[in-house]
Amino acid sequence: MSWKDRIEKGLAEFLSQHFDEPVAVENLQPASAGARRQNLFFDALRSGGEDRVPLVATITPNPAMQVMDVEVEADTLRLAEAAGMPVAHVVASSVDKSFVGGPFFITGRVEGETIPRRVLRLVESKPGLGSRLAQQCGEALAKLHSIDASKGRAELARPAAVSPAEHAITMTEALMDALLQPSPAYALGLRWLHRHLPDAPDRTAICHGDFRNGNIIVDETGLRAALDWEVARIGDPMEDLGWLCLRMWRFRNDTLEVGGFGTAAELRKGYEAAGGRWRQEAFHWWKVLGTLRWGLGLAGQAAAHLDGSVPSIVMAASGRRVAELEYDTLMLIRRSYDDGESSA
Amino acid sequence: MQDRPTARELLDTIGDLLQGEVLDATTGPLKHQVRVAGNLCRILERELALQPDADRRAARRLAEVLESDEGDLEQLNRELVRRLRQAAPIEGGEEDGEKGEGIELERRAWPALLEIVRAKLAVNKPDHDSYDFAAETGEIDR
Repeated sequence: MSWKDRIEKGLAEFLSQHFDEPVAVENLQPASAGARRQNLFFDALRSGGEDRVPLVATITPNPAMQVMDVEVEADTLRLAEAAGMPVAHVVASSVDKSFVGGPFFITGRVEGETIPRRVLRLVESKPGLGSRLAQQCGEALAKLHSIDASKGRAELARPAAVSPAEHAITMTEALMDALLQPSPAYALGLRWLHRHLPDAPDRTAICHGDFRNGNIIVDETGLRAALDWEVARIGDPMEDLGWLCLRMWRFRNDTLEVGGFGTAAELRKGYEAAGGRWRQEAFHWWKVLGTLRWGLGLAGQAAAHLDGSVPSIVMAASGRRVAELEYDTLMLIRRSYDDGESSA
Repeated sequence: MQDRPTARELLDTIGDLLQGEVLDATTGPLKHQVRVAGNLCRILERELALQPDADRRAARRLAEVLESDEGDLEQLNRELVRRLRQAAPIEGGEEDGEKGEGIELERRAWPALLEIVRAKLAVNKPDHDSYDFAAETGEIDR
């Protein structure tokens, strides 16, 4: 039996049990494959084939690579949906490996673009769409952040006994200590982060953790769904807003801070209209933190190539991208240090 | 001295091969890897041309920041990281000046590091510093 037949059979068995009626599965096709997980599109045929339901299965073939338990991810998605954030509806989840060879969850299929350059092409073809999309991103995050964090699953990562910002600094320091090559630019960035620690938020929130161009589904009406919830955590709400505005998610449209399609003012407008509280200093602080941490992540990829754990020319090349994030970090903190002589 | 072609000329030839015929003949995930490999050849060509001068200049700038004698670039780099990572004093507080160094070190370091990072970008990604973040960092206080 081919891999495709095996997965189709496993999904059909699972869904038949789940719906307590015979369900057939057809048209299985890979949608995208990350390093850790596979997303597969398929059609489920219910009511003797009369009802064709387009679905998506997200499978973690190797449980050792699993970042978050599928049940925790599915429950977090359900909470977000109930709060009014656009997400794919969760149909079911299972940790039983006997069906498709690993833990998985199944959601409804949301049509639209996910590949960043295609998202930007769509936005450029529809006047006003970028601005609307940025506002919708703000609204969506405000709805997510409105959830009482105590409703989140206990397994979600959270800062222990300190503010989310202090927790993030501690984690960043550990990454700095692991660098093969010390970076004075990142050391200066870290020192700036210490000096400018933002006020703690009124309350912590469930954060998506990786909400950005590349993890959203967009069509001509705007934002349709937020994808990839496996690094959701309890944190500072401004963490999500800062991350969304990092330069690396703009895909060369550098002047449009929000994913290369909208402005921070539009994002803020949507966030506040949906009841979110925008803290400008914290927003900027989390941008610096996210930029620095992404740079440390690239250095980590190069290290993983060099020590032989993940040999790959792409990982090796990441080491030569570290300087990009050093530049971005220095420029984001320039207001504190630039006396004007060194402006470009 | 080696016989021609020089290292740069050879890298240029390898880069042309990778970005031309090899890329055209490749499909799937390998295509991306070939593209990356071709780009790395271009990076190495620029590195051979620019790095010796850039390293000399970086060592001079770091020595200025550290107010020390010029020396080995790696040593200077380590020393600056060590000093930057010492806790900064709490300004205006009782501990002011007691521990670590003040903002002066940061002010000296920032323009020097920007210059050094720009020199690295000239090798790795020459157009990256064309964006200056001015709109998202507000007016600079003078």
